[in-house]
Amino acid sequence: MVVLDIERPLGVSGLLEVAGTAPGAGRSPRVRPETGRAVPSRAHRSSWEPLSGDALLERLRITGRPRPAAHPDLVQRLRSVLESGLADQAPRPAEGRDGPPVSDTDPLPSPVLVTKERLHRALACDAHSVATGSGPRPFSPSLACGALIDVLFRQLVTVGGIGDPMTDGLAALAVDDHQADLRSWIDGLAGPERDEVRAEVERQAEGLRRRWPALDPGWLPRTQQAMRVRLADGCVELSARVDLAIGRPARDEASVAIVEVASGSRRVEHRADLHFYALIEALRSPAPPFVVATYYSRTGELDVDPVTDELLVGAARRTLVGTRRLRHPDVGAESGRGPSPWCSRCSILLEGDLGPWPVTGTVPDPVSPTIGGGR
Amino acid sequence: MTTVGDRTRQLVAPVTTPVPEAARRHLGQQLASRLGSLVDPLPAGGPVVVTLPVLRQARQRPESLADTEEPFAWRPIFVRRSLGLAVVEACARGRFRTPLEAVGPVTDEAVGRWEETGWRTFHWEPWVAGLAPGARAMVLAEAVGWASSLWSSLHWSSIPARSRFGGTDDQWVCPAVPPVRLKGRSELCVPVDVRGPSGRDGGTVALVSVAGGCPTDTWSEELAYLALVASLRSPSLPVPARVLGLWPDAGTDRSVEIDTGTLALAADRVVATTAAVVRSRLVVSL
Repeated sequence: MVVLDIERPLGVSGLLEVAGTAPGAGRSPRVRPETGRAVPSRAHRSSWEPLSGDALLERLRITGRPRPAAHPDLVQRLRSVLESGLADQAPRPAEGRDGPPVSDTDPLPSPVLVTKERLHRALACDAHSVATGSGPRPFSPSLACGALIDVLFRQLVTVGGIGDPMTDGLAALAVDDHQADLRSWIDGLAGPERDEVRAEVERQAEGLRRRWPALDPGWLPRTQQAMRVRLADGCVELSARVDLAIGRPARDEASVAIVEVASGSRRVEHRADLHFYALIEALRSPAPPFVVATYYSRTGELDVDPVTDELLVGAARRTLVGTRRLRHPDVGAESGRGPSPWCSRCSILLEGDLGPWPVTGTVPDPVSPTIGGGR
Repeated sequence: MTTVGDRTRQLVAPVTTPVPEAARRHLGQQLASRLGSLVDPLPAGGPVVVTLPVLRQARQRPESLADTEEPFAWRPIFVRRSLGLAVVEACARGRFRTPLEAVGPVTDEAVGRWEETGWRTFHWEPWVAGLAPGARAMVLAEAVGWASSLWSSLHWSSIPARSRFGGTDDQWVCPAVPPVRLKGRSELCVPVDVRGPSGRDGGTVALVSVAGGCPTDTWSEELAYLALVASLRSPSLPVPARVLGLWPDAGTDRSVEIDTGTLALAADRVVATTAAVVRSRLVVSL
């Protein structure tokens, strides 16, 4: 699977420059032509700068791969993978009952909601479940920073500017019922902690302003777009909300790019999140998105994943495994105690062949608890 | 999946068999009789209000019908439909190319009109006028997302210019004690020709409804409910010929052709919903 990482040296020529089609070609990445894979260059690491302006958009638009065509057979296969994998599993008791409602007063069963967070929890092995906990994350400066950057990015895309970041961000949170508690928590922060949040939000907001160009309205940029797909006769619902979708809805060819904004550090699960988004979009649209990406507002990095059939099939398999566990959490609990290829953190360790996995105890959280460790 | 072109063609396609006037009258009389006996055990008081969300709530979460409603407070998601419709209308009339271009000026115009007149008929405008820039941006962002979904769902050049965007809700009050008020809200009302010997003067209309989430297995009755309320509202207005439902979150759409059978099913659903509401009120009053 190709990941075009946007970390790039300055002044290195690349595929786009040779083709002569991209604006800002002098800042194009060095690309291995036969694979489209970005080649890291240690010699130039010190002069690395985040992409900005047209170059940032070009990185999203030109992935080095042809855009996927509308592919009903593939969508049917993806659905088959999911539907057949769920069909042999009886609905859990909480889903109501078997079969359709028998009368008008018979309530419809609630579907099992599958979100990226629930998938992570379902697929994490027990050790990581213990380490990361479950339920909503406690409020922290990093969480506050993430929420504020989310609304500021939305503001930038919609109205083209940000005033005082902290003032605008808090005003935005004030009209969102879901963020009322977080807003109160921020209001209650002591001076130094609040200053710390403010400083980081201002720094990241300045990065957004400097690097993100105005998006062409013709691309129909939309923020916080909800995406839902029902499976297994409505017993399961895949659900996501993406920070930014650009491009008119697909017809014959993929035309949508999906961008997630993360205010914290890179985490391995971010790629799985992107793939989950790509899967839902593929299932609900005539064509999948042509690219999914994570923009890291802390550093300005942009991780770009061109969407391929393999990516979608992998996402469908992972989603199936997670959904089965969500429907029947008790099944397979024993085998989940060891390292799991579906556990995003274990998968790194497995790749590194670090030896036997501790069966008990907790695993140190590799994510820094300091500010910037938000979502 | 339906293409945008096919969906639009189906929406505006002429109809040949409109619902006869006698059938509409009979349906109204029957429904009034059934609802009257249902609400009879309730003490006189506020009306039983049935809307499309209540129809869905009664089916999916009937226990929540007894919940006390929280006091209303404006939020961006409550503005997105009204503002989003104004944005789509401005685009459809050719004033703007896209929702993102339209949303700022359309909002400013609406707020400006309220500030000039101070009319109480304005609803979200006074709230938006008092918002700080960050909060106002969230209102606009919600509206852009909503409008972009509707804007990209139809070929607007094929939609008749006389189409109505939003407007007042359709409403029919069953004269029972307490009264039962049916309210229907569609996003778009599109003129449709009637062809053939049974055609009536003035043609008829097709309705478009936009909903969140995914369609349930009772989507057909829910869409037909909008046609039912529009039919009962006034005998001088045509019975809608079809209702197109859009579920942008799910990227899907459904359409139902309206005939006496679909209207009867929708009426059955209204009766079932009213029964659920009555049950919940009786439980609360025990």
